Amino acid sequence: MTTSAPAPGPSGGPDRELLRRYHEHGDVSAREQLVERHLPLVRSLARRYAGRGEALEDIEQVGTIGLIKAIDRYELTRDVALTTYATPNVVGEIKRHFRDRGWTIRIPRALQELNVKMSGAVERLTVRLARSPTIAELAVELDATPEQVLEAVEAGSAYSPVSLSASPGTEDDLDLMEVIGSEDEGFARTDDRTSLEPALGELPERERRILRMRFEEGLTQTQIADRVGLSQMHVSRLIRRSLENMREALSG
Amino acid sequence: MTAPPSPDVELVELETPIGSEWEPVFRLVLGGVADRLGLGFEELDDLQLAVERLLAEAGAQRSVKLAFELAPDHVRTHVGPLSEAPIAKALQGSPPGPGELGLRRVLETVVDSFGVEESDGGELVVRLEKRVGPR
Repeated sequence: MTTSAPAPGPSGGPDRELLRRYHEHGDVSAREQLVERHLPLVRSLARRYAGRGEALEDIEQVGTIGLIKAIDRYELTRDVALTTYATPNVVGEIKRHFRDRGWTIRIPRALQELNVKMSGAVERLTVRLARSPTIAELAVELDATPEQVLEAVEAGSAYSPVSLSASPGTEDDLDLMEVIGSEDEGFARTDDRTSLEPALGELPERERRILRMRFEEGLTQTQIADRVGLSQMHVSRLIRRSLENMREALSG
Repeated sequence: MTAPPSPDVELVELETPIGSEWEPVFRLVLGGVADRLGLGFEELDDLQLAVERLLAEAGAQRSVKLAFELAPDHVRTHVGPLSEAPIAKALQGSPPGPGELGLRRVLETVVDSFGVEESDGGELVVRLEKRVGPR
């Protein structure tokens, strides 16, 4: 496998200059350029962990956090290329993510495998039937019983969500919200405890967009899935995770 | 907590502790209800989300009763009694303004209708209704 990530020499090159601008002058745009330049490396490393029940783009997002930490921790006195320094950071972040998100309870392999097949079955049947399939229809498609289908769906939810407000690693790790959060003007803000909008701006852009489509534009999960290029089940998980993380952020 | 169902309505009741570790219990029960009615996979997910969000706001309350009324064309879910005042405020106050994302907006989106019944003691039972789509 090859990557198109830049590989500057340890002592010079564009990376070195960008790192100097960021660390010595606080130039945030230099940091953004560094992230941009090394995203192919993150994508390449993330692909190694695909097919383990986690969407590739989520793994890439986690890997990007590792890249940002590497950039922030890089010491200019080091005579090592950023690519070399960042790789173990990115891999470590992804591994930590899988460890933290691992199956929280012991799930029989057959149910895990049925869960993995579920998303594709839902998509196929939704297209074929032009509506959301019933549990019975899914059972026939998957050659399983309705009870097994329901258990497999629940097996998927045993995959514990990572809190956006929880540092995934050591105490000095960046808070995910600090990395990806920004102001959102799409939803109004109130102090009502059951209102979630004060925390909305802390979500990644993709999640904010999905929430807007679901709760402002009234699109179904399937329609949203078509627009953002994800499965309906993935959209469902993102909506749940976003609402729960927003609530945790408000109560925390 | 619910009016006697008519003869063509079947009733499933459950009392469960509140907490994320207990969510699979009501989700599985609701899944069985959906299978019985032929509710779509996405419609089931919507209804599960509605109950999850309500229980997430239930505060320190330790347990809750859930009642599912199954009619041929819809399922009506009763959640309660709930004692948290913010839930009443969120569901009984003025409609959400454009762009507000609160509990009420979530319920308005994911179920076909909802309502709040208040007891003399000020406790609430929230009613969620989801229709079975055309098959």
